[in-house]
Amino acid sequence: MDTLKLKKAWELALAPAKQLPMNAIGMYMTGNSLQIFSIMMVFMLFKGPIQAVLNIQGTFARLETEGNKSNMLMVKAAFVGCNCLALALGIWKVNGMGLLPTTRSDWLAWETAREPLERAYFVPS
Amino acid sequence: MRFPLFAAVCILLRTTVAVFADEAWNVDYHYALLGEPQEETTFFHQPNPTSKASLIYTLSKRGVVGAVNPRDGSVVWRQLLSPNLTSSTDRGFLRAGEGQDTIVSGYGSQVAAWSAADGRLAWTVDTHGPLKDVEILELSDGKIESGAKDVVALSGGGSPAVQRLDGASGAVKWQHKFQEGDEVYQLSASTTEVFAILLHKTVLGYIKIRVVSLDPVNGRKTDEYTLSSEKELASAETIISVGANSASPIVAWTDAAHSVLKINIIGTKTVSSYNIEKQDGQPVEKIRIHAPYHANSLSHFLVNYQTATSHWADIYHIDHTRSITQLAYSLPNIAGQGSFSTSTSDANVYFTRITQDELITVSSASHGVLGRWTIDNLGLVSAPHEAIVPTHTVSELSVKGDSVSAIRTAVLLSTGDWVLLRDSKPVWARPEALADIRSATFATPSVLEDFQHKLDVETHRNFVGAYLHRVKRHLEELKHLPSYMSSMPQRFISGFLGTTDEGAMASDSFGFHKVIVCATGNGRLMALDAGSASRVLWSRRAVDLDSSESWQPGLSSRADVIVLERGSGKSRQTFNATNGDPLPGIPDTHDLQSGLGVQYTLRDGVLEATRTDKANAGSVWHFTPMADERILHLVPRPVNDPVASIGKVLGDRRVLYKYLDSNLALLATANDASTSAQFYVLDTITGSILHSSAHSGVDLQAPISSILSENWFAYSYTAEASDASTKGHHLVVGEMFESLVPNDRGGLNAATNFSTVQSGTDPFTLVQTYQIPEAISKMAVTQTRQGITSRQLLAVLADVEAIVGIPYNALDPRRPVNRAPTKDEQMEGLVQYEPVIEFDPKWFLNHQREVLGIENVMTNPALIESTSIVFAYGLDIFGTRLSPSFSFDILGKDFNKFQMLATVAALAVATFVVAPLVMRKQVNTRWQFT
Repeated sequence: MDTLKLKKAWELALAPAKQLPMNAIGMYMTGNSLQIFSIMMVFMLFKGPIQAVLNIQGTFARLETEGNKSNMLMVKAAFVGCNCLALALGIWKVNGMGLLPTTRSDWLAWETAREPLERAYFVPS
Repeated sequence: MRFPLFAAVCILLRTTVAVFADEAWNVDYHYALLGEPQEETTFFHQPNPTSKASLIYTLSKRGVVGAVNPRDGSVVWRQLLSPNLTSSTDRGFLRAGEGQDTIVSGYGSQVAAWSAADGRLAWTVDTHGPLKDVEILELSDGKIESGAKDVVALSGGGSPAVQRLDGASGAVKWQHKFQEGDEVYQLSASTTEVFAILLHKTVLGYIKIRVVSLDPVNGRKTDEYTLSSEKELASAETIISVGANSASPIVAWTDAAHSVLKINIIGTKTVSSYNIEKQDGQPVEKIRIHAPYHANSLSHFLVNYQTATSHWADIYHIDHTRSITQLAYSLPNIAGQGSFSTSTSDANVYFTRITQDELITVSSASHGVLGRWTIDNLGLVSAPHEAIVPTHTVSELSVKGDSVSAIRTAVLLSTGDWVLLRDSKPVWARPEALADIRSATFATPSVLEDFQHKLDVETHRNFVGAYLHRVKRHLEELKHLPSYMSSMPQRFISGFLGTTDEGAMASDSFGFHKVIVCATGNGRLMALDAGSASRVLWSRRAVDLDSSESWQPGLSSRADVIVLERGSGKSRQTFNATNGDPLPGIPDTHDLQSGLGVQYTLRDGVLEATRTDKANAGSVWHFTPMADERILHLVPRPVNDPVASIGKVLGDRRVLYKYLDSNLALLATANDASTSAQFYVLDTITGSILHSSAHSGVDLQAPISSILSENWFAYSYTAEASDASTKGHHLVVGEMFESLVPNDRGGLNAATNFSTVQSGTDPFTLVQTYQIPEAISKMAVTQTRQGITSRQLLAVLADVEAIVGIPYNALDPRRPVNRAPTKDEQMEGLVQYEPVIEFDPKWFLNHQREVLGIENVMTNPALIESTSIVFAYGLDIFGTRLSPSFSFDILGKDFNKFQMLATVAALAVATFVVAPLVMRKQVNTRWQFT
């Protein structure tokens, strides 16, 4: 019974990874433009993994027994890892959309012009 | 986040730079001015001999011939005679023959005939010498031609001559040359003869009047004689009047002390002499003769005497049989200044006298008053207690029986306003003094200044403090609520119907209603409202100038204080910008920061810079152009030139850093020997040249203009034709960067401050040249409050009488040459370089208007970031508001408030109506069984 439950748990844990290629294709297809559709998809992409990680105990509660507790840890770690992969996909997407402040221009507003120490004035004769 | 938005804005920008149809006649204003009319060259005349309707024609002090509709004061047509307005001292002549449909002007050495109705040029003739007089021949020799009357012109200079020009074609019919020696003075034509008045200088330095009479048919000399005895005339200035094209022209002169008036009827040798009595013990300052111009009117004339405090007049009749003049009657002495005008009706002559508060018409035959009107209010803006004095007048009247039934008087006042009075009521006023603005400045009215200050406080506090300040400000503003509520219906209606109630200065939260203060050539300060310039806010005399005196004022403003500087470093006066009241106290010249300050001046063709701190004063550097070179002009970077972003974001989100130095100046020099022009970008602290370029084969007669702003400069010149290229106008744009490597801040790297004395770094400059279809006579650049909005280069095109606003995007030197732009460059909004820039018709700020003789364009930021206020002056006044990046922070006129309100209302109604229906249906579905 425990092995069966463990097998089921592994299935659950790897499910997000199986969705990854589909998600990746979906993200690629929506393009890098800022539109309501692509923004919503990106939002879902972030929301899914984070929610899944937060509910991790609930997800595996009914499969967890006293016997497979040690094995379950591995399963949970795999589950978190898979969700992290999905998050990484989301971050890659956000970067592609130009929403990550990774370049010089993103910080340009915080750079200031150099102050000249001297001032010259033109006096019309 | 930032970049795609930026790219999106960029793409938007490129399509939206234009004048919008719904803004065209709303945000801009234009005064089509003529300049102050001159007494001798202003008259009523019927452009169509068969109709009674007449126009007022004038040749103004600014060299503009024009016709003004006396009904509403609009300009029917106008022609600029001298393209170079400032250097002209010429008075010019304007004549209209009786019953003619052309008017003839003489200016410089050009005689030109214009169609009186529409101002088309009929012909023009160059007399090869400065014109001394132009007259129209009113011959009565039996064979009067029905066509155009001939013109006689007297020209001076090296070979003085009288020419008779054909009235229809301008062809020279005959020419009579004078021997050199005598100075030609004036011309007078009677119906049978042409008289030339020459001034003969005697050995003792006095002047004798010599009259040469010519046969009008063939130009041969018929007679010659000399008037006036020795030692009477010291200079030509005391000759009061020659001529009038009347039946018997006269010449009148006086002595330097204005004690004796001498009159001679030209053609006779007798000189009548009249003693001028002094009234009130004041010496006579000015004598003027007013006589009718028509050949068939009565030969009566009026002599007007003016003292400092009063004026009076004598009327003389000419007795033809005895060829003498007789004093007919006198008009009483009235205190204050006054002016007279002559009008004719058939053969009768009428004189109209205008004083500060009265208009009186008398017939030339007797002293009975035919009409008298009291002038109470001219409706003009002037300083309190300032006497508005009539300078000169022309009038047109109609007489019924023994009284004047209607009179129209166009009077030029001492304020520089030209006013038309119908009887005694002002019909229109033209602020002609504004045609001669010497200096102008923007000022912020105190209301706006306070508001601006409050906004500044909010931007500089921390978040909580700013919020509390705002709440406090809004609470304070609640006290305006009652007045706001009472004006609400009016605002609502005007906003609804789209009528242009732009709001008064008090409720101007956008900062459109700035005050433009102008110093005019007649010594006055006049203030206009930049938001609605249809009225003059205030006007006051700043200095007392003689008629011949000119001044070079300098105006500057600090918030709501105007500083008027007369000449260089001379007396300084301060005024309140809101109401023009003079203020006590003189502000500091410069609020210099600590550290080294340098001030530089262009003097005697050398640019020289000196230290400002007293401790170690002395010359820092000077820039002397090379031999044969002369400095054309110098354009410093504007003192107030905010830049929002210190770098340019590239398509791949890297940054090119701008070379920003507040101490830059662009200097243009010309070399007349090699016809070349040089342009230098100078660092004005050290005097070092950061960038220079030289262009050979430049037409130095054509205008050369330049501008420097932010980190870029632009200049334009006209290149002569050469083997390689044809003659054409060029516009060069250069942009300076700290480094051409993206993400690199150049030699100074991350230093927060710098001194070019200690560690100078040179900019990397990208330059691109464009061919433009028109020569640019003056450049300016739009200014906004924080410099976020993209910029427009404003260029005055003198030849097409227009101002264009060229978006900087079109001029960007980084436009890729000889290849299509890459994807990254497309993201930036760069398009492929094309050598020719055609001025898009949408760029013309003046759209349908003709802006004549613009000499300078000024820009000033409004309170909202999107908008820059533009004011152009010269001959015409033109102003507008520009939003180079579209009005992103204000609702445009195209926003349909009605539609929005209607949608909200419809939704509200729908909600309230539908809600009970749905409720009932839901209840019913629960209770009904089927």
